[in-house]
Order: sequence, then structure tokens, then C-alpha cells
Amino acid sequence: MSVGEHLRIDVRREPDRVVLGLHGELDLLAAPHLESELESCEGEGNGNLVLDLGGVRFIDSAGLRVILAAHQRAGERGGRLALTPGSAQVQRLLSIAGVGDRLQTIASPDAVLV
Amino acid sequence: MGLLIEAGAVLASSLDIATTMGQIAQLAVPDLADLCVIDLLDERGAIREVAVVSGDARLGLDLEELRRGYPLDPAGEHPVARVIREGEPVLLARMSSELLRSFAQGSVHARFMIEHDYRSAIVAPLIARGRTLGALSALRLGDARDPYGQEELELCCELALRAALAIDNARLYSDLRRTERRMEAVLASVAEAITVIDGEGRTVYANQAAADLLGFASPAELTHAAPGSIMPRFLVLDEQGRELDLESMPARRLLMNGERPGPLLVRNIVRATGEERWLIVRSSPIADMEDGGVRYAVNVFENITQVKRAQLAESFMAEASRVLASSMDYDETLQRIARLAVGAIADWCAVDLLGEDGEIRRVATHHGDPRMLELARTLDRGYRPRLEDPLGVPEVIRTGESRIYADIQPEALAAYAQDSEHLRLLSEIGARAVVIVPMIGATGAVGAITLVSAESLRRLTPADLALAERLGRRAGTAVENARLYTERSRIAHTLQQALLPHSLPEVPSAEIQARYLAAGELNEVGGDFYDVFEHGPDSWMLAIGDVVGKGPRAAGVTALARHTLRAASMSGQSPAGMLQTLHRALRGQPPDADLCTVCLVRVSRSGGRLALVVALAGHPPPLLIGADGETAAVGETGTLLGALDPVEIVERELELRAGETLLLYTDGVPEAGRAEGALGEEGLRELCRGSGGIPLAELLERIERAALRRAAGRLRDDLAMLAIRGRGDARIGER
Repeated sequence: MSVGEHLRIDVRREPDRVVLGLHGELDLLAAPHLESELESCEGEGNGNLVLDLGGVRFIDSAGLRVILAAHQRAGERGGRLALTPGSAQVQRLLSIAGVGDRLQTIASPDAVLV
Repeated sequence: MGLLIEAGAVLASSLDIATTMGQIAQLAVPDLADLCVIDLLDERGAIREVAVVSGDARLGLDLEELRRGYPLDPAGEHPVARVIREGEPVLLARMSSELLRSFAQGSVHARFMIEHDYRSAIVAPLIARGRTLGALSALRLGDARDPYGQEELELCCELALRAALAIDNARLYSDLRRTERRMEAVLASVAEAITVIDGEGRTVYANQAAADLLGFASPAELTHAAPGSIMPRFLVLDEQGRELDLESMPARRLLMNGERPGPLLVRNIVRATGEERWLIVRSSPIADMEDGGVRYAVNVFENITQVKRAQLAESFMAEASRVLASSMDYDETLQRIARLAVGAIADWCAVDLLGEDGEIRRVATHHGDPRMLELARTLDRGYRPRLEDPLGVPEVIRTGESRIYADIQPEALAAYAQDSEHLRLLSEIGARAVVIVPMIGATGAVGAITLVSAESLRRLTPADLALAERLGRRAGTAVENARLYTERSRIAHTLQQALLPHSLPEVPSAEIQARYLAAGELNEVGGDFYDVFEHGPDSWMLAIGDVVGKGPRAAGVTALARHTLRAASMSGQSPAGMLQTLHRALRGQPPDADLCTVCLVRVSRSGGRLALVVALAGHPPPLLIGADGETAAVGETGTLLGALDPVEIVERELELRAGETLLLYTDGVPEAGRAEGALGEEGLRELCRGSGGIPLAELLERIERAALRRAAGRLRDDLAMLAIRGRGDARIGER
């Protein structure tokens, strides 16, 4: 577990995925923190990443950028990135950004990855 | 009678009982008696002879010895014991041997009296205030003189009465002396200085603490000081710094005017040393028992210097911090700091700043006295310190360490002065002590504060130095912050100017308003942008966008976005096409380049109508506010730019009627206040609802205020709004 300014990240490593449980606010200040956590588990979990957004109260475009970059890198390595649903604000931002249907959303962090 | 007058004189002149009794007995011998004895009751009730006077010295000594061997029994038959018991005088005109034997304390005593031919005796009680203290015995020996009669009895009684009074007074006096000694012992050991002043202004009592406080070696030296000679040793000021005279001292007011003054807080400065103390002076009256008039005043001085200093230092620092935080204009705040320091710490204060060019610049000088201020300024102008000068302000700025010159001697001044004129000016300033402290910021000393004590006689102490150093650190940080802020806001302002349109083009039949607020540090370049430009004849483009991030990198993307959109517009692309162009431009950037969301609205005027095309790329849809105040989000969700391929953009067409408003905004507006208390899209709509009649600029201002309120004045994201309202006065051919 590591704690940034106002974002806590719990990392859980499974054979088929790495689950990052995010708690707090994923904004401009917290984005570099998530970025470095993602870097540290790159290639593990069979290349699959799950971002558990259940504990995220707020996300901004800087947070979204990190998620999209991770999504792109996972795809390039033949892995997948999936999200669990976050708060209404998170859903709204993903929807407005027009990326809601581009990112795989799973009901729980351990659900099947398609 | 002559004897009694003489007795009165004796009684008044001495208060030692044995001496006095001896003197009284002496009066009786030889005129009244051949032998006079005075016996007193001691504390245990025993009869003790205190005076024996006889014409025959030998007899006196023998009697004393006899009495030691055979003390009188207080319960016995001896006339002295009886008189003391009964309080009545006894006249034994003719005493027989039988009588003498009857009351003698044994045969030796009887033989002594018979051998010395005790013949006639008077024993008178010593009575004072109803108590019998002892007895006076007068004896005539042999038959050379007449036996005692009534006349002698009365005389003896009178003499005994006087003796009794003398004893009583002497006892009272010695009791008083004992009490007084006890009081003195108590007062000597208390920490408070205590003095007693009489009606003539003389100090009649002082304890050691008072002697210490008032600069005397001992209480005795203080009580011997001439009235009015103590006060001039001090400069006495009230809390506001006004000088106080003797008349305003509580003891004086009490003794002279009969007032009952309350405690007085004074700042007391020892003229000789410059030492400053804060004292609370309390005076209480000692009233005369008989007429109730005030004879004495008791002064108690409580030294509260430490407490008062700490309190003053705290309130000074609080005030200084408030002043320093009040404005980014540090020249002005430092002048106020100098004014604040004068009075609180020193007689004059100067503040110097080290410029980027290495020049030392004086930004503030203050002195309570305008004439001295002028002198100080003359000194500044003529003898500016240079950074390489070995001493004074340059030294402190170079080393970052403070200097205190506690007791400045003329020789030191001469050594410091650059020439004779400089020395003359320095001498005229009359500095007694100087403290120079560095103003320290994160990068080192940015300047120095000089504090000088001169004519107020106050001496700058290590406590003042510590306070000045705190002030120096606080002011240094403030100056540095202000400089950084000024520098950064200058850069930010310049950049922002380049990133936002200087003015909005006129769109006929429509009103356009914009509002922009950068987040957090007011001097950082934000990631939001907006633009309005001509797209073609009777066609304009409104753009609002949000580039991820802040600072120079975001500024670069903002510039890229604006210029790419303008370029794409010139090539005649539709809004969706323009956004695709911008997406490709962003993807062409180095990897991990920033992404951005945009809302683009094309406004076309045709036949007096305004036709709009709205295209969204990952951006919140604009709000259409009807003339009736109803709101609706307009536009289809589109992909944000720079992140994912392919980007899907859908254009929506609508008409903007008279009184209708289309409000474009960035995320910063609904998200001000974050998840907990955010304004939200619904809140934004609520603000817009029924806003049809409100001037457009006022509506935007109202929204901005609401967002700032939600964010408690601290925005975490930029906030941009761009709005267009149909005017309804458009006809073909008109502007």
C-alpha cells in the first residue's frame, strides 16, 4: 500500500491480473502517484490490470489521462485493462470524455476479463 | 512638685525600663527617702526588684544581694506583696522590730531590716490601665527624720503612677518594636519591592528588594535619600509611552490629594544604565488612628518585565505578520513595519534590501521625531552602505548573522565613520545601542533591519535581539514570497495574454461574453482556454477547451490547440473536421503528450436567424437557456482528443432564438468544490434557470461567484465560461 497526497493505492498481485484499489481523489496532484504505481507493476499479472475505482470520489482529466495511457500500453503488450465502476462523478467524466465504451468495465475486481 | 516635673522629663526621655526605674528611684533619694526600691511583677508573677537607690551605696548593694537570696513571696505578708496584690498604698509610719519580723522573708531578712534601722515606710502600687505592675517603696532609716505622713504618701503615689505609665509605655514600645522587627523580617524576604513614604515625601521604610529595584546598596541608603531625589533617576512612562511625573505617582496622589488611586502600570527606565523594567505600582494608605488622616503611603512595586516583554513581543509579531501578509507590495509593508518597530522596540528603524544588482537600497526609515527622521535620511543619502563595506548592514547581509552593538562609545563611532561629516551626523543621531538583523528568506539574506535606541535611553537587550531576529525572518520570507509572486505572476500574465483572445469579435445579432479564472496559485498558467474567431462570411467559431495539466507544458498544448483550430477553420473545415485535425495534431506530438477536451460551436447568421452547430470532443455539453429560463444540455458525446483512435464526433444543429443563451463551460465550473460540495451540473442549471432577463455578463459573474463559494475561495481547477445570447434585433443587412 502506498499513500499519496490524497489518493491511497492498494496493490494486489494475482496470477492473471494486478488489481490496484484506488481510494480518494484521482486528480492532477495524484496522477503522478498512480503513474509510478502502474510502472512498478508493469508486465506482472500476465499483463492484465484492473483499476478498482470503487473508492474514488473524484477524478479529473489528468487522472483520466493516466488511465488511458495505461489502457494503451496494456493493449500494446497484448494484455487488458479493466475498471470497476466508480462514483457518479467518475461515470459522468468517463461518459463525457467519450471513452466509457472504449474501456472494459467489470462488476468486481475479480470478475472475468474478456 | 518640682520632683514630679523632673519625673515627667525622665519618663519621656528613656524607654528602657530598668534605667527609667533607676532614674525615678534616684529622684526619691535623699529628699523623700533614704532608700527607694522599685519592684515589678515579672511575666511569671514573681516579684522582681528592678531598682534600688540608697544614700549609702553599700546598703543598696547588700539589699540587692539579699533580695536575690530571699525573693519576696507574692502571696506573703511583706507590704510590697500585699500592695501588689491589693493595689492600695500602705503607709507604715513607725515600724517596730516585731512588725519587721512579721513580714520578713526569714531571719536573715529580718536581721537586715532591723540592723539597718528600717523605721518608716510607704509602699505605693504601680498601676497602669487598671493593672498593678509592681510597687514603689520609700523608706526612712533611723530617727533623724520625721516618720512619713499623708503628704509623703500622696507624693509617693503620684511618683508610682508616673513610674507605672513609663513602664506601660516602655512595654508597649518594646512590643511594637518586636512586632516591627517581625514585620521587617517578613518584608525583607518578600520579592516585591516595598517602601513607605511619609507626608513630606521621605522614604521612611524600604525593604531590600526596593533598594535593589531603585538602585541603592541598602534599605538604609534609600531611606536616607532626600525627598524627590529618587524619581529623577528614572524615566517613567505610561503604557502609551507618555512621560509621568512625581505628581501622577499613586503614593503622591494618595498623600497630597487624598485620592485612592488604583494600580499603575509603568515602564521604568534607569537613566544611568538604560535598563527597562515594567512595574505595577500599588499604594495603600496608613491612616492616623486619631484623626483618620493619611500619614503614610505603602508602595508595593511588582516587577512584571518578563511577562510584559513576552506579551508585547507576541502582539508585536502578530501585528507585524498581519502587516506583512496584507499586501504583496513589500516597499509599502516594510515602511509600515518600520513604523511598528519604532515605539515597540527602538527609537528608529531602517530597512535595507539587497537588489538583484547587488546594490543595497534603503526602502524604509522611521523615527518618532520628524527632525531626527530628516537627519537619518540625510545620513542615508550621503553615506549609502556598499555590499563590500566591512561593518554594519553590509556585513549582516553578507554573513546572514545579526549584530548587536550594546553600548556605543564615541571611539567606536569614529572608527566606523567614513569622514568627519559622517561622524558628525552619526553623533547627532545619538545612538546608544544598535541591533542589525538579517531578513532571511529560503535563499539567504534579502536585506537587513536596523534598530537603534537613542534618546529614549532604552537599552536594546538580548530579548530585543531575539524579537528582531524573528521579525527579520518573517519579513525576509515575506519579501522573498512577494518577489517570487511578482515574478511568477508577470510570467503567468504574459503567457495568459498570449493564450486567450485579446478581445472577442463582434457577432451581429448576438452578444458574447467570456469569463476565465485560473486555479490555485493565481500565477500559474491554467489548462483551460477559449477562443472566438471568424469562420467565414457571417460565420463565427466559438471554442472552449480544457488541456490536461498546468504550467508551461499545458500552455504549449493550449497554444497548439488554439492555432490548430484557427488554421483548420481557415481551410473551411466543419466543426467535427476541425476537431479531427486537432486530434491528429495532438497524436503527432511526442508520446504521452497531453490530451484535451473541446467544445466547438459554429454560429452562422442567415436571414436574421442564428444557426448553431455544436460539436463535442470529450467535453461537457453546453447549456441552452431558453428565454423562459428553462435549460437543456446540447450536443452528442464525442471522444476526447489526443488519446484514443478513432475519435468519434457528432455534430448537432440548432437555432439560437432571441433571448436564448448557449453557455459553454469547462469542468472547473460544475466541479468547483469537488465531490463533497460541488456545484454540479444540476447546480449550474439551477443558477441559469430563470436567468433570461439578467444581463449576460452578470449571469457569468453570478456563476463564477457561486463556484468560488463552493470551492471556499480555493479553486483546484481552472474555470472558463463562454456564452452567446441571441439579441433578437437582427434583420438582414444589419449588423
